[in-house]
Amino acid sequence: MNRIRQLFAQELWSPYLAGGLLGVVGLLAVGLSNHLLGASGGFENLAGILGKAVAPASFNNVYFNYVMPAEITWNVILLVGIFFGGMLAALTAGTLRWRSMPDKQWTEVFGSSRAKRWGIAFLGGAVLQYAAGIAGGCTSGLAISGGMLLAPAAFLFIAGMFASGILTAWVIYRARY
Amino acid sequence: MGNLWIALVLGVVFGFLLNKAGLTHYYKIVNVFRLTDMAVLKFMMSGLAVAMVGLYAMRGLGWIEFPAIPATYIVGNLVGGLIFGVGMALAGYCPGTCVAGAGEGRLDYLIPGILGFIAGAAAFGLTYESVFPQISRLAAYGNVTLGQLWNVNSWLLVTVFALMSLILFYLIDHGLIRKDPMAVTK
Repeated sequence: MNRIRQLFAQELWSPYLAGGLLGVVGLLAVGLSNHLLGASGGFENLAGILGKAVAPASFNNVYFNYVMPAEITWNVILLVGIFFGGMLAALTAGTLRWRSMPDKQWTEVFGSSRAKRWGIAFLGGAVLQYAAGIAGGCTSGLAISGGMLLAPAAFLFIAGMFASGILTAWVIYRARY
Repeated sequence: MGNLWIALVLGVVFGFLLNKAGLTHYYKIVNVFRLTDMAVLKFMMSGLAVAMVGLYAMRGLGWIEFPAIPATYIVGNLVGGLIFGVGMALAGYCPGTCVAGAGEGRLDYLIPGILGFIAGAAAFGLTYESVFPQISRLAAYGNVTLGQLWNVNSWLLVTVFALMSLILFYLIDHGLIRKDPMAVTK
Protein backbone atom coordinates (compact mmCIF):
# COMPACT_ATOMS: atom_id res chain seq x y z
CA MET A 1 0.00 0.00 0.00
CA ASN A 2 2.81 2.33 0.95
CA ARG A 3 4.66 1.50 -2.26
CA ILE A 4 1.58 2.35 -4.30
CA ARG A 5 1.30 5.67 -2.48
CA GLN A 6 4.96 6.35 -3.23
CA LEU A 7 4.49 5.51 -6.88
CA PHE A 8 1.56 7.93 -7.16
CA ALA A 9 3.55 10.71 -5.51
CA GLN A 10 6.38 10.25 -7.99
CA GLU A 11 6.46 12.95 -10.67
CA LEU A 12 7.80 10.80 -13.50
CA TRP A 13 7.09 7.13 -14.06
CA SER A 14 9.02 4.79 -16.27
CA PRO A 15 7.65 5.32 -19.79
CA TYR A 16 7.49 1.54 -20.10
CA LEU A 17 5.14 1.30 -17.13
CA ALA A 18 2.99 4.27 -18.21
CA GLY A 19 2.97 3.07 -21.83
CA GLY A 20 2.08 -0.49 -20.89
CA LEU A 21 -0.83 0.78 -18.81
CA LEU A 22 -1.92 2.96 -21.72
CA GLY A 23 -2.08 -0.25 -23.74
CA VAL A 24 -4.48 -1.63 -21.14
CA VAL A 25 -6.60 1.53 -21.45
CA GLY A 26 -6.69 1.03 -25.22
CA LEU A 27 -7.81 -2.57 -24.69
CA LEU A 28 -10.51 -1.58 -22.24
CA ALA A 29 -11.87 1.05 -24.63
CA VAL A 30 -12.43 -1.67 -27.21
CA GLY A 31 -13.56 -4.30 -24.73
CA LEU A 32 -15.99 -2.12 -22.77
CA SER A 33 -17.29 0.35 -25.38
CA ASN A 34 -16.12 -0.96 -28.75
CA HIS A 35 -14.47 2.45 -29.19
CA LEU A 36 -10.97 3.59 -30.09
CA LEU A 37 -9.14 6.10 -27.91
CA GLY A 38 -8.57 9.31 -29.82
CA ALA A 39 -8.07 12.89 -28.76
CA SER A 40 -8.44 14.79 -32.04
CA GLY A 41 -11.94 13.47 -32.81
CA GLY A 42 -13.47 15.29 -29.84
CA PHE A 43 -12.12 18.62 -31.10
CA GLU A 44 -14.00 18.14 -34.37
CA ASN A 45 -17.28 17.67 -32.47
CA LEU A 46 -16.52 20.69 -30.28
CA ALA A 47 -15.69 22.85 -33.31
CA GLY A 48 -19.03 21.83 -34.80
CA ILE A 49 -20.94 22.79 -31.65
CA LEU A 50 -19.21 26.18 -31.42
CA GLY A 51 -19.40 26.79 -35.18
CA LYS A 52 -23.12 26.07 -35.33
CA ALA A 53 -23.66 28.54 -32.49
CA VAL A 54 -21.67 31.30 -34.22
CA ALA A 55 -22.22 30.72 -37.95
CA PRO A 56 -24.98 28.10 -38.32
CA ALA A 57 -25.21 28.39 -42.12
CA SER A 58 -21.53 27.71 -42.80
CA PHE A 59 -21.34 24.84 -40.35
CA ASN A 60 -24.49 23.21 -41.69
CA ASN A 61 -22.57 20.81 -43.92
CA VAL A 62 -22.05 17.08 -44.43
CA TYR A 63 -19.05 17.02 -42.14
CA PHE A 64 -20.58 18.65 -39.06
CA ASN A 65 -23.97 16.99 -39.60
CA TYR A 66 -22.91 13.42 -40.30
CA VAL A 67 -19.16 12.69 -40.39
CA MET A 68 -18.25 14.34 -37.07
CA PRO A 69 -21.62 15.53 -35.77
CA ALA A 70 -21.78 18.72 -33.73
CA GLU A 71 -22.70 17.06 -30.45
CA ILE A 72 -21.25 15.78 -27.17
CA THR A 73 -19.83 12.42 -28.20
CA TRP A 74 -17.81 9.67 -26.51
CA ASN A 75 -14.68 11.45 -27.76
CA VAL A 76 -15.66 14.78 -26.21
CA ILE A 77 -16.17 13.11 -22.83
CA LEU A 78 -12.82 11.38 -23.28
CA LEU A 79 -11.21 14.83 -23.68
CA VAL A 80 -12.86 16.00 -20.45
CA GLY A 81 -11.43 12.91 -18.76
CA ILE A 82 -7.93 13.53 -20.15
CA PHE A 83 -8.03 17.07 -18.74
CA PHE A 84 -8.95 15.89 -15.25
CA GLY A 85 -6.56 12.96 -15.48
CA GLY A 86 -3.70 15.35 -16.15
CA MET A 87 -4.87 17.43 -13.20
CA LEU A 88 -5.13 14.42 -10.89
CA ALA A 89 -1.64 13.20 -11.80
CA ALA A 90 -0.19 16.66 -11.17
CA LEU A 91 -2.03 16.84 -7.84
CA THR A 92 -0.61 13.50 -6.66
CA ALA A 93 2.93 14.70 -7.43
CA GLY A 94 2.35 18.26 -6.19
CA THR A 95 3.15 19.79 -9.58
CA LEU A 96 -0.22 21.44 -10.25
CA ARG A 97 0.24 25.16 -10.70
CA TRP A 98 -0.84 27.84 -13.15
CA ARG A 99 1.95 28.90 -15.50
CA SER A 100 1.91 30.55 -18.89
CA MET A 101 5.25 29.38 -20.30
CA PRO A 102 6.64 25.88 -20.92
CA ASP A 103 9.92 24.54 -19.52
CA LYS A 104 13.39 26.09 -19.68
CA GLN A 105 14.36 24.42 -22.92
CA TRP A 106 11.73 26.47 -24.75
CA THR A 107 13.05 29.75 -23.35
CA GLU A 108 16.61 28.85 -24.27
CA VAL A 109 15.63 28.38 -27.89
CA PHE A 110 12.74 30.79 -28.48
CA GLY A 111 13.34 33.37 -25.75
CA SER A 112 10.98 34.45 -23.00
CA SER A 113 8.34 36.21 -25.10
CA ARG A 114 4.90 35.02 -24.09
CA ALA A 115 3.34 36.35 -27.30
CA LYS A 116 5.73 34.19 -29.32
CA ARG A 117 4.98 31.08 -27.27
CA TRP A 118 1.23 31.61 -27.36
CA GLY A 119 1.31 32.35 -31.10
CA ILE A 120 3.23 29.16 -31.84
CA ALA A 121 1.02 27.19 -29.45
CA PHE A 122 -2.07 28.35 -31.37
CA LEU A 123 -0.56 27.81 -34.80
CA GLY A 124 0.85 24.43 -33.81
CA GLY A 125 -2.54 23.32 -32.51
CA ALA A 126 -4.30 24.35 -35.72
CA VAL A 127 -1.70 22.59 -37.90
CA LEU A 128 -1.85 19.43 -35.75
CA GLN A 129 -5.62 19.24 -35.89
CA TYR A 130 -5.85 19.83 -39.64
CA ALA A 131 -3.16 17.21 -40.22
CA ALA A 132 -4.98 14.72 -38.00
CA GLY A 133 -8.09 15.32 -40.11
CA ILE A 134 -6.26 14.47 -43.32
CA ALA A 135 -4.47 11.46 -41.83
CA GLY A 136 -7.58 10.02 -40.16
CA GLY A 137 -6.49 10.53 -36.55
CA CYS A 138 -3.71 11.74 -34.27
CA THR A 139 -1.07 10.16 -32.03
CA SER A 140 -3.73 8.44 -29.94
CA GLY A 141 -6.56 7.93 -32.43
CA LEU A 142 -4.46 6.68 -35.33
CA ALA A 143 -0.89 5.89 -34.24
CA ILE A 144 -1.82 3.99 -31.07
CA SER A 145 -5.42 2.92 -31.69
CA GLY A 146 -4.80 2.00 -35.32
CA GLY A 147 -1.40 0.48 -34.63
CA MET A 148 -2.76 -1.85 -31.96
CA LEU A 149 -5.17 -3.26 -34.55
CA LEU A 150 -2.27 -3.51 -37.04
CA ALA A 151 -3.75 -0.94 -39.42
CA PRO A 152 -1.17 0.03 -42.06
CA ALA A 153 -2.48 3.61 -41.83
CA ALA A 154 -1.03 3.91 -38.33
CA PHE A 155 2.48 2.94 -39.34
CA LEU A 156 2.44 5.27 -42.34
CA PHE A 157 1.33 8.08 -40.04
CA ILE A 158 4.04 7.30 -37.47
CA ALA A 159 6.72 7.22 -40.20
CA GLY A 160 5.57 10.60 -41.56
CA MET A 161 5.33 12.12 -38.09
CA PHE A 162 8.87 11.10 -37.09
CA ALA A 163 10.41 12.06 -40.43
CA SER A 164 9.06 15.60 -40.40
CA GLY A 165 9.34 15.95 -36.61
CA ILE A 166 13.06 15.17 -36.77
CA LEU A 167 13.55 17.55 -39.68
CA THR A 168 11.62 20.34 -37.96
CA ALA A 169 13.52 19.91 -34.69
CA TRP A 170 16.78 19.96 -36.63
CA VAL A 171 15.82 23.22 -38.36
CA ILE A 172 14.77 24.83 -35.07
CA TYR A 173 17.76 23.68 -33.03
CA ARG A 174 20.49 23.75 -35.70
CA ALA A 175 23.81 23.96 -33.77
CA ARG A 176 22.10 22.69 -30.64
CA TYR A 177 20.45 19.72 -32.35
CA MET B 1 -25.61 6.41 -21.44
CA GLY B 2 -23.29 4.13 -19.48
CA ASN B 3 -20.83 4.30 -22.30
CA LEU B 4 -20.03 7.93 -21.52
CA TRP B 5 -18.99 7.05 -17.96
CA ILE B 6 -16.55 4.59 -19.48
CA ALA B 7 -15.20 7.38 -21.72
CA LEU B 8 -14.77 9.63 -18.69
CA VAL B 9 -12.94 7.05 -16.59
CA LEU B 10 -10.70 5.90 -19.44
CA GLY B 11 -9.97 9.54 -20.28
CA VAL B 12 -8.91 10.23 -16.69
CA VAL B 13 -6.54 7.25 -16.70
CA PHE B 14 -5.23 8.25 -20.14
CA GLY B 15 -4.50 11.84 -19.07
CA PHE B 16 -3.00 10.59 -15.81
CA LEU B 17 -0.58 8.32 -17.68
CA LEU B 18 0.40 11.04 -20.17
CA ASN B 19 1.36 13.26 -17.25
CA LYS B 20 3.25 10.55 -15.37
CA ALA B 21 5.19 9.60 -18.49
CA GLY B 22 6.28 13.25 -18.67
CA LEU B 23 4.69 13.81 -22.06
CA THR B 24 2.99 17.01 -20.92
CA HIS B 25 6.43 18.69 -21.01
CA TYR B 26 7.59 20.60 -24.09
CA TYR B 27 11.09 19.11 -23.87
CA LYS B 28 9.91 15.49 -23.71
CA ILE B 29 8.06 15.81 -27.01
CA VAL B 30 10.71 17.81 -28.85
CA ASN B 31 13.63 15.73 -27.61
CA VAL B 32 12.27 12.52 -29.09
CA PHE B 33 12.70 14.28 -32.45
CA ARG B 34 16.21 15.40 -31.40
CA LEU B 35 16.81 11.73 -30.52
CA THR B 36 18.08 12.70 -27.07
CA ASP B 37 15.15 11.50 -24.90
CA MET B 38 13.16 8.56 -26.19
CA ALA B 39 10.36 8.55 -23.57
CA VAL B 40 7.70 9.26 -26.23
CA LEU B 41 8.84 6.33 -28.35
CA LYS B 42 9.09 4.00 -25.36
CA PHE B 43 5.62 5.04 -24.21
CA MET B 44 4.06 4.55 -27.64
CA MET B 45 5.75 1.25 -28.42
CA SER B 46 5.06 -0.33 -25.02
CA GLY B 47 1.43 0.75 -25.30
CA LEU B 48 1.19 -0.67 -28.80
CA ALA B 49 2.83 -3.98 -27.88
CA VAL B 50 0.61 -4.55 -24.83
CA ALA B 51 -2.58 -3.54 -26.64
CA MET B 52 -1.76 -5.61 -29.74
CA VAL B 53 -1.14 -8.79 -27.77
CA GLY B 54 -4.22 -8.21 -25.64
CA LEU B 55 -6.54 -7.35 -28.51
CA TYR B 56 -5.56 -10.24 -30.75
CA ALA B 57 -5.70 -12.62 -27.76
CA MET B 58 -9.14 -11.38 -26.69
CA ARG B 59 -10.43 -11.66 -30.23
CA GLY B 60 -8.91 -15.11 -30.55
CA LEU B 61 -10.80 -16.16 -27.43
CA GLY B 62 -13.99 -14.73 -28.90
CA TRP B 63 -14.38 -12.14 -26.13
CA ILE B 64 -14.40 -9.09 -28.38
CA GLU B 65 -14.91 -8.00 -31.93
CA PHE B 66 -12.70 -5.35 -33.46
CA PRO B 67 -14.16 -1.89 -34.05
CA ALA B 68 -13.80 -0.44 -37.57
CA ILE B 69 -10.13 -0.55 -38.56
CA PRO B 70 -8.83 2.99 -39.37
CA ALA B 71 -8.78 3.33 -43.16
CA THR B 72 -5.55 3.08 -45.09
CA TYR B 73 -5.10 5.59 -47.94
CA ILE B 74 -1.35 5.83 -48.30
CA VAL B 75 -0.95 9.41 -49.52
CA GLY B 76 -3.29 10.93 -46.94
CA ASN B 77 -1.99 8.90 -43.98
CA LEU B 78 1.57 9.82 -44.87
CA VAL B 79 1.00 13.47 -45.77
CA GLY B 80 -1.13 13.93 -42.66
CA GLY B 81 1.68 12.42 -40.59
CA LEU B 82 4.24 14.69 -42.26
CA ILE B 83 2.26 17.85 -41.46
CA PHE B 84 1.47 16.54 -37.97
CA GLY B 85 5.16 16.08 -37.14
CA VAL B 86 5.88 19.73 -37.98
CA GLY B 87 3.16 20.94 -35.61
CA MET B 88 4.26 18.55 -32.88
CA ALA B 89 7.95 19.55 -33.02
CA LEU B 90 6.97 23.24 -33.06
CA ALA B 91 4.37 23.33 -30.29
CA GLY B 92 5.77 20.48 -28.20
CA TYR B 93 2.46 18.68 -27.85
CA CYS B 94 -0.12 16.62 -29.68
CA PRO B 95 -3.89 16.79 -29.08
CA GLY B 96 -3.94 14.39 -26.10
CA THR B 97 -0.86 15.73 -24.32
CA CYS B 98 -2.09 19.30 -24.79
CA VAL B 99 -5.34 18.57 -22.97
CA ALA B 100 -3.57 16.65 -20.18
CA GLY B 101 -1.04 19.50 -19.88
CA ALA B 102 -3.89 22.04 -19.69
CA GLY B 103 -5.19 20.08 -16.69
CA GLU B 104 -1.94 20.54 -14.79
CA GLY B 105 -2.20 24.31 -15.11
CA ARG B 106 -0.34 25.09 -18.33
CA LEU B 107 -2.14 28.17 -19.67
CA ASP B 108 -0.31 28.08 -23.00
CA TYR B 109 -1.86 24.64 -23.54
CA LEU B 110 -5.27 25.57 -22.13
CA ILE B 111 -5.86 28.83 -24.01
CA PRO B 112 -3.98 29.19 -27.33
CA GLY B 113 -3.38 25.44 -27.59
CA ILE B 114 -6.98 24.33 -27.29
CA LEU B 115 -8.22 27.31 -29.33
CA GLY B 116 -5.75 26.27 -32.03
CA PHE B 117 -7.16 22.75 -32.10
CA ILE B 118 -10.72 24.10 -32.35
CA ALA B 119 -9.66 26.46 -35.16
CA GLY B 120 -7.91 23.63 -37.02
CA ALA B 121 -10.96 21.41 -36.54
CA ALA B 122 -13.28 24.11 -37.89
CA ALA B 123 -10.98 24.67 -40.88
CA PHE B 124 -10.89 20.95 -41.61
CA GLY B 125 -14.64 20.53 -41.32
CA LEU B 126 -15.32 23.53 -43.54
CA THR B 127 -12.92 22.36 -46.27
CA TYR B 128 -13.66 18.64 -45.82
CA GLU B 129 -15.79 18.20 -48.91
CA SER B 130 -13.24 19.73 -51.25
CA VAL B 131 -10.16 18.08 -49.69
CA PHE B 132 -10.88 14.77 -48.05
CA PRO B 133 -12.77 12.73 -50.67
CA GLN B 134 -9.95 13.29 -53.18
CA ILE B 135 -7.04 12.52 -50.89
CA SER B 136 -8.72 9.51 -49.30
CA ARG B 137 -9.16 7.93 -52.75
CA LEU B 138 -5.42 7.97 -53.53
CA ALA B 139 -3.79 4.56 -53.00
CA ALA B 140 -6.75 3.53 -50.84
CA TYR B 141 -6.95 0.05 -49.35
CA GLY B 142 -9.97 0.47 -47.07
CA ASN B 143 -10.34 -0.74 -43.50
CA VAL B 144 -7.69 -3.45 -43.64
CA THR B 145 -5.08 -4.75 -41.22
CA LEU B 146 -1.50 -5.55 -42.20
CA GLY B 147 -2.28 -9.24 -41.78
CA GLN B 148 -5.10 -9.04 -44.33
CA LEU B 149 -3.12 -6.87 -46.73
CA TRP B 150 -0.02 -9.07 -46.76
CA ASN B 151 -1.98 -12.27 -46.18
CA VAL B 152 0.14 -13.28 -43.20
CA ASN B 153 -0.86 -14.50 -39.76
CA SER B 154 -1.45 -11.53 -37.45
CA TRP B 155 0.26 -13.30 -34.56
CA LEU B 156 3.46 -13.36 -36.58
CA LEU B 157 3.23 -9.58 -37.00
CA VAL B 158 2.39 -9.05 -33.33
CA THR B 159 5.38 -11.18 -32.31
CA VAL B 160 7.71 -9.36 -34.69
CA PHE B 161 6.52 -5.99 -33.40
CA ALA B 162 6.95 -7.02 -29.75
CA LEU B 163 10.45 -8.39 -30.40
CA MET B 164 11.45 -5.30 -32.38
CA SER B 165 10.26 -3.11 -29.51
CA LEU B 166 12.24 -5.11 -26.95
CA ILE B 167 15.42 -4.95 -29.04
CA LEU B 168 14.98 -1.23 -29.63
CA PHE B 169 14.36 -0.60 -25.91
CA TYR B 170 17.50 -2.57 -25.07
CA LEU B 171 19.59 -0.59 -27.54
CA ILE B 172 18.20 2.76 -26.39
CA ASP B 173 18.87 1.93 -22.75
CA HIS B 174 22.37 0.68 -23.55
CA GLY B 175 23.80 3.67 -25.30
CA LEU B 176 22.04 3.99 -28.65
CA ILE B 177 20.94 7.56 -28.03
CA ARG B 178 22.45 10.91 -28.88
CA LYS B 179 24.04 13.02 -26.17
CA ASP B 180 22.07 16.21 -25.70
CA PRO B 181 24.27 19.21 -26.59
CA MET B 182 22.00 21.30 -24.35
CA ALA B 183 22.34 18.97 -21.36
CA VAL B 184 25.01 21.15 -19.74
CA THR B 185 22.71 24.13 -19.57
CA LYS B 186 19.74 22.16 -18.18
